[in-house]
Amino acid sequence: MEEKISQIQKDYLPKIASATTLKELDKIFLALFGKSGAITLLPGQFSKLSDEERHRVGPLFNQIKQVLEDAISLKREAVRETIYKSLENEKFTLQPPRLQAKRKGHLHLATQFKKEIVDLFRKLGFQQFDAPHIELDKYNFEDLNIPKDHPSRDMWDTLYIDTSNLKVEPGQLLLRTHTSNFWPRLMEKGKIPIKAMSFDRCFRYEAVDARHSHTFNQFEIAVVGKNITMANLKYLSDYLLKAILGKEAKSRFRPKYYPFVEPGVGIDSLCVFCHGKGCKICSGTGWFEIAGAGMIHPNVYTATGLDPKKYTGLAWGFGPDRILMLKHGIEDIRYFLEGDLDFLQKY
Amino acid sequence: MKISLDWLKQLVEYKLTPQKLAEELSLMSIGVKNQTEDYLELDLTYNRGDLLSLRGVAREIVVITGCKLAFSSSSLSDYPSLPKTPIEIEGLELSPIQCVAKIEGLKVSPSDKEWVKKLADCGMRSVNNLVDVTNLIMLEFGQPLHAFDQDSVKDEAIIVRVAKNKEEIITLDGKIRKLNSEDIVLADTQKPLDVAGVMGGKDTEVKESTTTILLSASMFNPVMVRKTSKRLGLASEASKRFQHGLTKTNLLQAFAAAIKMYESLGGKLTAINLVGDLEDTPKSINLTKKKVVELLGLEISSDFIISSLQKLQFKVTSKGGDEWEVIPPYFRLDIALEEDLIEDVARIYGYDKIDGQPLKEVTAQKLDQSFYEFIYNLKLGLKNAGLTEVQTYSFYSTAVLNALDTDKQKLVKVANPISAETEYLRMNLWPNLVEVTGRNLRNGFSDVAIFEIGKSYQTDQEGNPQEEYRLAIALCNDSDNPLEELISMPKSLGLDFILKDAPLLGISGELFHPKRFIGGLAEVHLRVLNKFGIERRVAILEISLPLKP
Repeated sequence: MEEKISQIQKDYLPKIASATTLKELDKIFLALFGKSGAITLLPGQFSKLSDEERHRVGPLFNQIKQVLEDAISLKREAVRETIYKSLENEKFTLQPPRLQAKRKGHLHLATQFKKEIVDLFRKLGFQQFDAPHIELDKYNFEDLNIPKDHPSRDMWDTLYIDTSNLKVEPGQLLLRTHTSNFWPRLMEKGKIPIKAMSFDRCFRYEAVDARHSHTFNQFEIAVVGKNITMANLKYLSDYLLKAILGKEAKSRFRPKYYPFVEPGVGIDSLCVFCHGKGCKICSGTGWFEIAGAGMIHPNVYTATGLDPKKYTGLAWGFGPDRILMLKHGIEDIRYFLEGDLDFLQKY
Repeated sequence: MKISLDWLKQLVEYKLTPQKLAEELSLMSIGVKNQTEDYLELDLTYNRGDLLSLRGVAREIVVITGCKLAFSSSSLSDYPSLPKTPIEIEGLELSPIQCVAKIEGLKVSPSDKEWVKKLADCGMRSVNNLVDVTNLIMLEFGQPLHAFDQDSVKDEAIIVRVAKNKEEIITLDGKIRKLNSEDIVLADTQKPLDVAGVMGGKDTEVKESTTTILLSASMFNPVMVRKTSKRLGLASEASKRFQHGLTKTNLLQAFAAAIKMYESLGGKLTAINLVGDLEDTPKSINLTKKKVVELLGLEISSDFIISSLQKLQFKVTSKGGDEWEVIPPYFRLDIALEEDLIEDVARIYGYDKIDGQPLKEVTAQKLDQSFYEFIYNLKLGLKNAGLTEVQTYSFYSTAVLNALDTDKQKLVKVANPISAETEYLRMNLWPNLVEVTGRNLRNGFSDVAIFEIGKSYQTDQEGNPQEEYRLAIALCNDSDNPLEELISMPKSLGLDFILKDAPLLGISGELFHPKRFIGGLAEVHLRVLNKFGIERRVAILEISLPLKP
């Protein structure tokens, strides 16, 4: 048995040494470690050995197995390095010019949805305004009536930027947790009336699973002006829900606390999947939660240099990823950002 | 927070099924996460501290359903003058009020079934009769209490002070906690007894042998409690309530009710002391009907405004015209502004009665939309050229970091990453596209032509983070020189300037084929591709988009 093992080594080490291509190495690897490879099959014969023999043969076998594995991977590296060197001999050629292959292109589902919603609100005079992803605490929290050390901060699990090499206090720079940072950035410019929207990426400290992601989209609108009312908010809610979920959809307001609005409401949609009768999607209630909204809080005006007595405003935000999942029966949120072409090319 | 329904029925005479009750509450008051025959599980709201108690929820149910409250306020006035337990408060900014009662003649035993069920329905475990009183009171009133074993407290003294640096205490969970001068403690003359607002100490907890307790009721600086609770990683039912706001009126009621419960267990109150400011300061807010109508877009009668606020126990005094002075009840700490009152009027009126009205024709200030249009049109052009749009995470995965072997100093770093996969923000888009290409090749695709338009994140010379929009394309076709095909794309999209002008963005030559690169295009070096498990050739393009919002 020991001879057999040594023989394998004697046979294969020179083969490995003389190989010059990755293909040859792959062949050798298969011959050794494949399903019926020499190394793979050998332990099957150990059962015939006496205990004493096995104690000798076992370690030897393992050692030689390791030697062969190492030899192959070292050689692979060497062959690769030669290939890398030979790249020097390759040319930058454009002749003959090569035409683009014919393929069917696809826009990401989120881009298609964004276009749909943005067009919908553009009809009402809304304009896009995107704010930074890496944001100051001021715009993401403080201006939005979320003071430091207030318990409401717990509503957002936040990813902070490492500022140890910067002249910024720790905790002052973060990855924005919502698109709402666009309102203070726009409001402080003082150009009222505002009718703006943003469909963009946000971040949370959240482990990724089928329903949660640390990176996700939000769509949000904000209106600031004179005589902006909750009745307007209701109209805009129905307008959006009907457009994206069908004519049957309608909104329902529930009291809900968000520090940057007062009154604040949670918005449910009539469940269009069961026509409000109750199903799995709406947990049997006939309604499902879709958005958060409200009338912009007076403290937000004050923080951005506007007079809260002069203006009223509304804001409305929701997570498009979740709606897309509902509409298309997508079971896993990770499909959106992991680039699986089977998924992306379905739409 | 879980609310026991059996218990709730003792506090308010409602006649609804749990399901109906949950629905009414969620439409008019507070969200309900879950309901069973035994309990309702309510959303945690961050403004309504009063709803962290059964009494608070009972009061809401009265307003919603018009039924009657079944409890009355308890008060301390029944107690004759007794000796005072020693209390010291280092500063009222630490703790505005501190109450201690000495109760003798107690005996530790298991709680009766009713108490155990009440606690269980509210998601808490019964400990023993003496400790359970404090938890039952906390659940009913929202006021945390603490019972100290009197024998373990030196000189019976309760001193509220900041902790000394490096002072240590073993908390109820058996862990040693290191404190500092940002923490408040309750202490006796020798040692800390309790991390204020967060967790009690092991040494002074109620023991089998306990017969006399010092019952303490306090309020603490909520910001300090929050910081301590975060630092120690100790979030308890009590610390939540200490942070969300307590009131003195409620504290005194809870304290009185607890003493009664201990008396029902055979205890005898032998000393008591109340120190600090014992009264809540009422707020006064002006409300006009004009503002109500203006904000809601809804004609609500003055009578309705007044009656709904009165139902919620607000004091409403007319100031003539349709204007009122409104004083919120002591338990509504969330009410500070006129808008807060309007929200209460609106939810009692019923949000479902608000009819939608289109926005009046106002012309908003113009915002430049050209960049957004440019981006969309570019995406459309790329799609029409046969490319598939991908969107990838804003981070470099560990696989990408490993393949690039990049200088991490130049990357924007996350201070508190969820895992190594979210520690560094992407400086370029193309590495993520190569990673995606590898994934799709492994899934059996033989032709991958993808693009992404999204943000990249850099650091400037001072190390400050910057972000900008980029376009990246990755192409892996049937040839050994995909760059030949890729080069035709910018031309067809009118981006051919990048063949000359745009240098490869902040990336070293090691990463690319030694010969095949031009402007913002290159074949990725095989060494890099191999690290992604790709044995074929991949060409990429990356440019900074010329227009910015």
